[in-house]
Amino acid sequence: MTMLDSYGNRAMSAASASASASAAVKRRGDAASFPQKPVAQLLGSNGPIHAVTYSASPGTYILTGSADRSIPGRLIQTYTSHSYDVLSLAISADNARFASSGGDRAVFLWDVATAATTRRFAGHAGRVNAVAFAGAGDALVVSAGLDTTVRVWDTRSGGGSSAKPVQTLAEARDAVTSLAVTSDEIVAGSVDGRVRSYDVRTGKVTTDVMPASVTSLCLGRDGRTVLVGSLDSRVRLMDRGGGGCLRTNEGNQGRVWAWDLLSGRLVAKVAVPWGPATGNDGRRKMVIGRDGKEKERKNVISCLAWKEGGFGNQFCVGGTSGVVTVFGEG
Amino acid sequence: MSYKRSRTTYEADLSAQQSPFVLFGTALPPLDPEVRDDGSFVPVWKQEVRDERGRKRLHGAFTGGWSAGYFNTVGSKEGWTPSAFVSSRTNRRKDAPDAAQQRPEDFMDEEDLAAAEEARKIQTTAAFTGLGSTEDDVSRMTGLVGLFRVEGEMMGAKLLKKMGWKEGQGVGPKIRRKARLGLQQQQQNSSSADTFLFAPENVPMVSFIRKKDHRGLGYGGEAGLGPLAGSSAVGRRKDKEKSRGGIGIGVLNDTGSDDEDPYEIGPRISYNRVIGGDRKKKKAVTAINPSLKTKPVFISKKLASGKVALGVRKCNDGRLPLDGFVFGREADSLTSDINSVGKYPPPQIPPGWVSSKKAASQPGSKEYLSTADAAKASKLDPKARAALLGEKELPGKSVFDFMSASARERLAAVTGKTDLPPARGEIPAGFALSEEERQRELLDRVPKLDRETAIAALSRGAGGGAPYGEDEAKRSRYRAYLEYQAGYRQVLPPKPAHISTEDWLREAHEFFNCARIFKPMTGFMASRFTTSSSSTVNSTSGAKGESGNKELLSKPPPKPEDPAEEAAKLGLFGPLTRSVADFHPTMLLCKRFNVKPPPNAQPADQDASSGKGKAPFDVPVELSAAMSKDPLLALEFGSGLTTAAPVDAAQTATARDDGGSSSKSEAVKPVIDSSKNEALEGARAGEEVFKAIFGDSDDDDDD
Repeated sequence: MTMLDSYGNRAMSAASASASASAAVKRRGDAASFPQKPVAQLLGSNGPIHAVTYSASPGTYILTGSADRSIPGRLIQTYTSHSYDVLSLAISADNARFASSGGDRAVFLWDVATAATTRRFAGHAGRVNAVAFAGAGDALVVSAGLDTTVRVWDTRSGGGSSAKPVQTLAEARDAVTSLAVTSDEIVAGSVDGRVRSYDVRTGKVTTDVMPASVTSLCLGRDGRTVLVGSLDSRVRLMDRGGGGCLRTNEGNQGRVWAWDLLSGRLVAKVAVPWGPATGNDGRRKMVIGRDGKEKERKNVISCLAWKEGGFGNQFCVGGTSGVVTVFGEG
Repeated sequence: MSYKRSRTTYEADLSAQQSPFVLFGTALPPLDPEVRDDGSFVPVWKQEVRDERGRKRLHGAFTGGWSAGYFNTVGSKEGWTPSAFVSSRTNRRKDAPDAAQQRPEDFMDEEDLAAAEEARKIQTTAAFTGLGSTEDDVSRMTGLVGLFRVEGEMMGAKLLKKMGWKEGQGVGPKIRRKARLGLQQQQQNSSSADTFLFAPENVPMVSFIRKKDHRGLGYGGEAGLGPLAGSSAVGRRKDKEKSRGGIGIGVLNDTGSDDEDPYEIGPRISYNRVIGGDRKKKKAVTAINPSLKTKPVFISKKLASGKVALGVRKCNDGRLPLDGFVFGREADSLTSDINSVGKYPPPQIPPGWVSSKKAASQPGSKEYLSTADAAKASKLDPKARAALLGEKELPGKSVFDFMSASARERLAAVTGKTDLPPARGEIPAGFALSEEERQRELLDRVPKLDRETAIAALSRGAGGGAPYGEDEAKRSRYRAYLEYQAGYRQVLPPKPAHISTEDWLREAHEFFNCARIFKPMTGFMASRFTTSSSSTVNSTSGAKGESGNKELLSKPPPKPEDPAEEAAKLGLFGPLTRSVADFHPTMLLCKRFNVKPPPNAQPADQDASSGKGKAPFDVPVELSAAMSKDPLLALEFGSGLTTAAPVDAAQTATARDDGGSSSKSEAVKPVIDSSKNEALEGARAGEEVFKAIFGDSDDDDDD
């Protein structure tokens, strides 16, 4: 049995920027196993969705963070505390807590059951783009923001306005857009076109230069490869050991792309429908296009999550339509 | 003893007596006792006012005052009758067919009507009624003349006054003459001949004297007759000069007007010599209204019109007519006869008559050419004219003889003239340069590079990355230029003959701009910047040299790009794009990650904030760890802190790196004397140290 890595890519059409999300997929002999069928559409969000994530291991729940400043757990729970857009979400391994970050420069640690924030980390000077759990037992929350810093917060000590981060990594020269965390490393991608890997074990930071601003990062399952999406509309599979580029995939516009990372073949291109009408009149909001004419708003897909960290048989995407579409095999 | 009867008794008697003195005719009826017409005194309260019909029209103030209208009612016997209100908005009352048009007469009583009737009568005013009276003649005449003539000040006079003319003086430029002060003739002769500028004298208006008599022209027989002696006496009396007053001003001179300051010091031309006499005309007083230049003065209409009318015409002797006299307006029969049309027509010229006088010569029927036109039409240039006139050619040369060909072309392009003389490019003998002078001048125009920059550029070129790598000749010229500027070489290689001076200088400038990049940074700047890697600089400077061939102006070299970024753009991922640096994870971070802290881990209290309280024995260890990183800190605290057991910083660090708490406890503990605070009580640093630090502060004098 071979374990293969396969990656889905999404792109933001407006800025023609692509970002990537990763999944490890069990290969079942052919590409047809890629789940292409939308099995569910989750409503409940009033604005564009910025973040979507599955709950840990069983992957029963989907958590979305949207521009209406709340984190709806569709039908189950709505977590409202952010005063601006929720930009990133992370669920701890034990499913008891999750972290969120938003445009209000705050990082919140939530208790899932009570829907209350247990810690509030304030220290970023700009909007916080990414948040992730780190450390043993998810004792740390790593957040990265527009203020070019990556801050590491301790969840065990008391949070609050006076709490200082455990460490501030200020090497980046522009906004940090994405984060990935392994057992002993923090990988941060920045607009200055660099992917910095902070190895806590050795105390070294390894900087890899990308040709364009990095918008998203995703580590491979074994941590030896990283998938880097950047503003030149390309997704690169980088070898973390030597810094080489293993493969470059060029994506585009408004769909979910899936590549077989070994062969570089495009496995699937999945178009995401807008979803059921959310507005009162049942029509989409019209936008003024680049040619000056009014046109229907595109469903810009801004986030994607795989069930069970890539091993599940379904994934979900969210975008400007405010609808989370779940794709599955069923 | 007579007694005075009361008035009522007297009157009663009077009326009762039935006019006892009437002898003839019918006596008048006895007087109405209520009417008194005997002219006797009646007090005011008893007086009654009645109109001509005997009606009592004056009531008391409380009974209605003056009556008005129809028996103290208005308009009708009933007085005012209120009419039903009609909205004028919907139904215009005046449009109604039976709308009573009210006239002013409706509101008049008899007296008002009589007055109105009176006003209707037209009669001429007194000026017209008195036939033969000439009193209003002047104003009457101006009434007509004023139709055609501007009354008051004429525009010409206004303009003249604006230009400084004053009434009574002549028009024209000022005349330099002696001052006529009205002094005696002999005095004038004896006084110095100082002359001043005066306005010209007023010239009397030339008035053509109508010849009305039948005497010969120029006849002045009667004018010669006159009392000679008397006239001279009159003139002398008039000439008598007022003797001048003394300096200053006395109370007697005070004219009493407020605006004259009696203590004003200044020369007074004249003084009042009579108390209460006529005041001198005031000097120009500014009017209250600033828009008026002069104070308006009342001039009676009669006077003004007479003035204007009389100003127009003067008598035959140039004087104004006597007061009260006016010019006659009768047309002169003789001149009017002559001027009347058709009376004496000019003689008819017989047909076919030719004048015996002929124009002397008519050289040609050519049209007239002015000199300037003729000169313009001439095609000759100065030299040709000189040749025509037989002048000797001037030794001087034209400007074009000294002009270079390019300068002449530029001039031709600017002026648009194509017939400019050819440029010869001669050099005047006095200014001709020798060969070495020319060379020196050329060298002066070569841009100067400072020595350090030239050396730096040379050394950079020695590394193999010199610009102009593809052009060996140019490269050698560049090197020669640098060597010359660095002082290694005394002279520049001579300019090759086939290269023009401009090109050669342009190349020198290019070399200068190329080498200027290598200017070494000095002092402050150099400590803050590091030179970028040589390969980039060389490549950019090489590119610069290429582009410099085309453009004269040099641009500053582009900011050197990060080689890693360039490699990433080229897709050369790998060692080129990868760099590794140290960072200092905090202890808490390592602990939370559950990894062993790396050697360069920073202590937990450095960056942040773990809320945990620290054990007191940790302090020296942490301090020494900090000292291991900061030698200055170690130096400063070394003496005060541990004298007995100096801590080896490295040893401490390594000991701590071993990890466990046991190794920490094994670290050498410095001996601390708690009774003494070295930081406060230790030897004070030298005075120079304080001076060096705080020396330039202002308050060091206070210490």
